[in-house]
Formats: sequence, C-alpha cells, structure tokens
Amino acid sequence: MNWERVWTAANWERLLVGDLFNTGQAGGLLITLAIGVGSILAGTLIGAVLGVMRSSERRWLWVPAMLYVQVFRNVPLLILVFWAFFVPPVFGLNVSQFTSVLLAISLFTGAYIVEIVRGGIRSVSPGNIEAARALGMSRLQLLAWIVMPQAFYNMLPALAGRYVVSIKNTSLAFLIGLADLTEIGKQIGARLMTAPIEIYLTLFLIYFIVNRGISSATRLLEKRERFNALFLRV
Amino acid sequence: MKLDFSILWGDPGLLILQGLVMTLKLSAWSLLFAMLIGLVFGIVRWLGFRLLEPICWFYVEFSRNTPPVVQILFWYFSASYILPPWAFLQLRDFGYEFGAAVLALAIYHGAFIAEVIRAGLNSIPKGQFEAARALGLGLSQSLRFVILPQSTRVIVPLLTNETTALIKNTSLAMAIGVIEMTYQYKHIDNFLFRGVEALTAITVIYMILCLLTAGAGALLTKYLSRHVQRRGAQQPVLASE
Repeated sequence: MNWERVWTAANWERLLVGDLFNTGQAGGLLITLAIGVGSILAGTLIGAVLGVMRSSERRWLWVPAMLYVQVFRNVPLLILVFWAFFVPPVFGLNVSQFTSVLLAISLFTGAYIVEIVRGGIRSVSPGNIEAARALGMSRLQLLAWIVMPQAFYNMLPALAGRYVVSIKNTSLAFLIGLADLTEIGKQIGARLMTAPIEIYLTLFLIYFIVNRGISSATRLLEKRERFNALFLRV
Repeated sequence: MKLDFSILWGDPGLLILQGLVMTLKLSAWSLLFAMLIGLVFGIVRWLGFRLLEPICWFYVEFSRNTPPVVQILFWYFSASYILPPWAFLQLRDFGYEFGAAVLALAIYHGAFIAEVIRAGLNSIPKGQFEAARALGLGLSQSLRFVILPQSTRVIVPLLTNETTALIKNTSLAMAIGVIEMTYQYKHIDNFLFRGVEALTAITVIYMILCLLTAGAGALLTKYLSRHVQRRGAQQPVLASE
C-alpha cells in the first residue's frame, strides 16, 4: 500500500474540484454533486407532478403517468444516458455531456419518485380528506394543505433512498467522458498505474461520506417537531 | 439522417442477440451469488449475533452507499493486487471481465437482498421462532419449516424489484469490456454507424426483460398469497364524487 502517492494535495484537489483552479474546467466531486443535486431537484419535481396525476381517478391523467413510469423504470439508466447523449447529434442537435447526464438521471429518478409520491398520498388517512372536503376546501387546497404535507413526511425514508441512488448514479457520467468523481479517480489511477486499490478505496470513501450524509440529514428531518418547524409554519 | 430499421435483420441484429445472451448469463450468475450472499447476511443480521453484527452492518452500508460502477472497476483493476499471481493468471485466461462483473454485481445487490430478507424475516412475529425452537426444532429446521415459508410472501415482491434492478445494472459491465448488449450498442455505433436503430432495439429488449421479470414476480406473489384473506380493497384517495 502506498497511500502517500495517492493522497497528495494535487490529487485531492483534482478529486474534489477537478481542474477548476488550473484550466477553469470543473470536475470531480463538484460535478458529481452538481449533477446529483440537480437531478434530485428535477426528479422530485417530475415525481410530485406525475405522482399526483398517477393518484387521480381520471384516466387521461393517470394513464400517461403510468406509461411514463413503466417506460423509464424498465430501462437501464446507462441506456437513457446514451439516448440523451448519442442520439440528439444524429438529428443535428448538440447536447453537452453535463446536460444529457442531468436529463437522463432526472427522468430516471422521477419515474421512481412517482411511485413513492403515490404511496405517500395513499398513506394519508381518508378521514382527513373528508374533513377537509367538509370544510369546503377546493381540490387544489386539499392537495396543498392537507395531503401533500402529510404525504411528504411519510415519504421521507423512501425519498432518502432514492436520493442516495441518484448520487450513486452520477458515476455513470464517466462512460460518456464527463470529468466526474469516478472519471478523475480513473485518471489518477491510470497515471499512477500501481495503486488501483488505494484510489478506488478513496472513491468509495468519498461517495460513502456524501451518501451517508444524505441519509443522516433526512433522518434528522424524521423528528416530527423538526419537520414541522421547517415545512409547516402556520 | 434517415433511419432504417431493416438493418437489424443483418449483422447488427446478430451482434445484439449475442449481447443479449451475455446479458442473460451475467444476470443469472450475479443473481445466484447475490441471493446466496443476501440469504446468509440477511439471516445473520436477523439472528443478531453480537460478534458478526458490525461486520454485516459495515458490508451492507458500504455496499449500498457506493456506486456499482466504481465497485465493478475496483474488483476489475485491483484483482491482480489482491489475488495471488497464479490465481489471477488462471482467471485472466478464463476471461476475467466476466468474473469481476459477476463478483461486483453479486456483492452490490447482495447487500440489498440481505436487507430484503431481513425485512421479510422481521415481518414474522418473533414468537413463532421461539415457539418453533421450544418445540424442539433446530435453528435450520425452524427457519426452513416455520419462518421462511411465511416470509416468502413478503420477500418475493421486493426480490422482484431487486432482480429487475440487477438486470438493468448488468449494463454497467460494459465499463470493463464485458461484451453484453450495451457494449454491442457502442460497437454497432462505432463501426456500423447504426447507433439509433441498435439503441432502439436494445431499449425494447431491456424493457421486455424487465417487464417479464416483474410479471413473473407478480404471478409468484399472487400464487404465494393465495391462502391469505384480503382486507377490504383500498379506496382511491383523491376520488371525485
């Protein structure tokens, strides 16, 4: 084991921010987090909208949402990334690597979150909904003030799981040549040539810390008072 | 550019089919080993041995929180340092990419399956296990005859999800050059310039594979819970009057 060759200041800098301070080209953990956070936000948005549609009783609302879920859940993410990156140029559209990876992971994560949102909405007790209807709330008000806040709280553990998967999935970016954490790690490994164990263990460590951070953060939110203080300020 | 799907009946189609065979082989082997790992770790975690608990926790947490691609790369590139030289040389002649991919996928999904199995076992009241032991059944007997038959009903749907996830994750094996379907797409795109057609075909094949798996799982679940009495059907929540 020769950790001193792997854990040099220059290598750590490349792993964390890529060549940001040399050439202005961001990379490493920075890009991984940018894709991760971006796809988490976009995926949650897609999931929330389509999840509400999926819970509806009207066929023209739930069928498209169901089709979306079936299509995007049953295809490997790598195939989606390839669709987003290699196919648009064929039709004369140029998409950057960052955009295509972000798009693919957002759509993929969204498909899973649809089902989570649907489960969350189901978990709200019907009595609450009847009470809100009796009070004369419109359907939109009912959704915004009664159903969604409770559903969101119930969805937290499942959402945390999906978010961790999203962060893990950003590592696919290196297969289309984006300088994310995995790619930088591979580059350092290729340059050193004799220390694959050390470099990949370092990558494991970084991903592990980030993902455990997400799980712990949501576990903090699972304390009811904390959740209410943050999201339900009435 | 004009798309011409009839080319799929020629060489590209054969390449894709070869890739499909490899994908299926990869899935089957990884699933087998993942199940074994998951069963062992799941049962050990469920039994709650004090000594083994930290090891199991570490394995499951570590494996679940790191990307599968990086795990595949790790097992592929570090093999020559971990294994003794003779073993590595043997493996290399045998086609080491395949072995590394199976190993990595089995370890990655084994952690998820371990959690699934533990959740399934936990769904059975602990009293049943204690009763079985009190009646004189051994550990393996009480698992085999009392606990596992009941918990399969809970385990099978979750396991189906894991299986589709595993089939999808076999596409990552192209990162180390296993010639499976996704790799064949890159090959066709690079050498025959028929990327879009090939990608469409491969997407459809993956979708069929996953839907078949999910369907089989659903049927099996239905079969396993045929004796279970259904509680009242759930009402749609956002029902309109």
